[in-house]
Amino acid sequence: MNSLTEFFSTDWEAMTRSDWTGMVIVIILTVLMIGLYTWVFKPSNRDHFEQYRDFVNENNEEMKRETGHGQTK
Amino acid sequence: MVESTPENPNYNITIVKAFALCAVVYLIVGSLVGDLIAWQLSFPALNFNEYLSFGRLRPLHTNAVIFAFGGCTLMATAFYIVQRTCGVPLWSNKMAWFTFWGWNLIIVSAVISFPMGWTSGKEYAELEWPIDILIAVVWLSYMFNFIMTIVNRKVSHIYVANWFFLGMMIMITYLHVVNSLAVPVTLTHSYSIYSGVHDAMIQWWWGHNAVGFFLTAGFLGIMYYFIPKQADMPIYSYRLSVLHFWALMFGYVWLGAHHLQYTALPDWAGSLGAAVSLAMIIPSWGGAVNGLMTLSGAWHKLRDDYVLRFMVVSLAFYAMSTFEGPVMSLKTVNALSHYTDWTIGHVHSGALGWVAMVSIGAIYHLVPRLWKTEIHSVSLVNTHFWIHTIGTVIYVCAMWVSGLMQGLMWRATDDYGNLVYTFAETVVAMHPYYVLRSVGGFLVLIGALIMLYNVVMTIKANGQSKTAAAQV
Repeated sequence: MNSLTEFFSTDWEAMTRSDWTGMVIVIILTVLMIGLYTWVFKPSNRDHFEQYRDFVNENNEEMKRETGHGQTK
Repeated sequence: MVESTPENPNYNITIVKAFALCAVVYLIVGSLVGDLIAWQLSFPALNFNEYLSFGRLRPLHTNAVIFAFGGCTLMATAFYIVQRTCGVPLWSNKMAWFTFWGWNLIIVSAVISFPMGWTSGKEYAELEWPIDILIAVVWLSYMFNFIMTIVNRKVSHIYVANWFFLGMMIMITYLHVVNSLAVPVTLTHSYSIYSGVHDAMIQWWWGHNAVGFFLTAGFLGIMYYFIPKQADMPIYSYRLSVLHFWALMFGYVWLGAHHLQYTALPDWAGSLGAAVSLAMIIPSWGGAVNGLMTLSGAWHKLRDDYVLRFMVVSLAFYAMSTFEGPVMSLKTVNALSHYTDWTIGHVHSGALGWVAMVSIGAIYHLVPRLWKTEIHSVSLVNTHFWIHTIGTVIYVCAMWVSGLMQGLMWRATDDYGNLVYTFAETVVAMHPYYVLRSVGGFLVLIGALIMLYNVVMTIKANGQSKTAAAQV
């Protein structure tokens, strides 16, 4: 067994309930993070996010802008 | 709920004024106590009696700067930003004032209880159980008012700054309640319900997340509102801000274990804490770059915009300390850095460089607008900027040198494996750096006093100019 295989070897029999809980949470969060990166950086979603770049500087313009995107309540 | 129209939103500005003014005063209190204890470390004879001894004043300093100064800044800015970005006044003015008086009561309780020696002994959560309950109630009132204001908003989009504030509020509630669970013995004494390594893990789960959520997420909310506002430029990338937010929320809660390397905590937990710490460089630097690049095409504004200077330098410190932290969490580096003054230098790089400077910038932005006038003296603000920056650099550099020296001296051994230096010898070697640190802290205190004078004089000129007022 080389050192890398040894480093990543796991005694699955010794895993406690806490270990499994932690591992499941880590896997779920990793999947969610990958999903987040994909969602945010998908080119077709660019305008969806970037329309708010100057949100704070357009006093009284938020309503108009959001009406343009059909988002005003 | 306060009635308002889109033309006349009737924002509650008075509560923002009150919290902003308190923040300026508490910055002085926190810096004063901090500098006093720095001098006490340099010259132990300055520990005059038990009430004013280092051990009792140190938690007073940390609580004053984090929860009094930082807390009041967060409450002022959150209440200001949520109203302006949602287009509605606060959901409840009465509840906002309950938050204000409750928070100040907690601060007064800390000022009394710490010199008396009443402490739970948990770092950054030293207040005893009756005050902990009060903190939970007041914090919930702050959060509930904020959430209800968002619920009543006039626009569908919730601006990213509000997400950061909301993330902070939810996580701090959870962290504070779990970490503070204790068995009361008397009104001034209790025992944590946790013991041994579990207590240590819960303590540092709270301790690092007080940094991650209270001192980072909330202040990033400030950054995402005030930098584009002050620069009059759009945020460089809104997508990056969304990524910054979620990555911070997912990642930060895992870091606490890196405070417990080489302890009874299982080795894998420390490794996990270090690994996630390294992963957090990506969103942290993404956020810092996002703030800095917002000035793309407007760098010339730094020549004469005193508020932007504070904010840009704060982002530089944010980037530095969010790189330094993960490096220090690595076991090989931690073996040298932990328990030394390097940690103190790192903390103050974040606290004085990032948190204080972005807060001061935000307050300087707010004061002329809130009091409908212009700042009393721009040159005094510039003086504050340079004094604070120089003080911070002196402080941080002194602690870096002292910490490295401390770590190297502690583990130096001769050919036979004997320690080369006694502990007392390391203390003597650190003395010049402790004096230098005290000087750096003194400069920060002077800067805070200049700020108070400038703010008070600005308030005295209330209403003399309508230029800034038009922007409120």
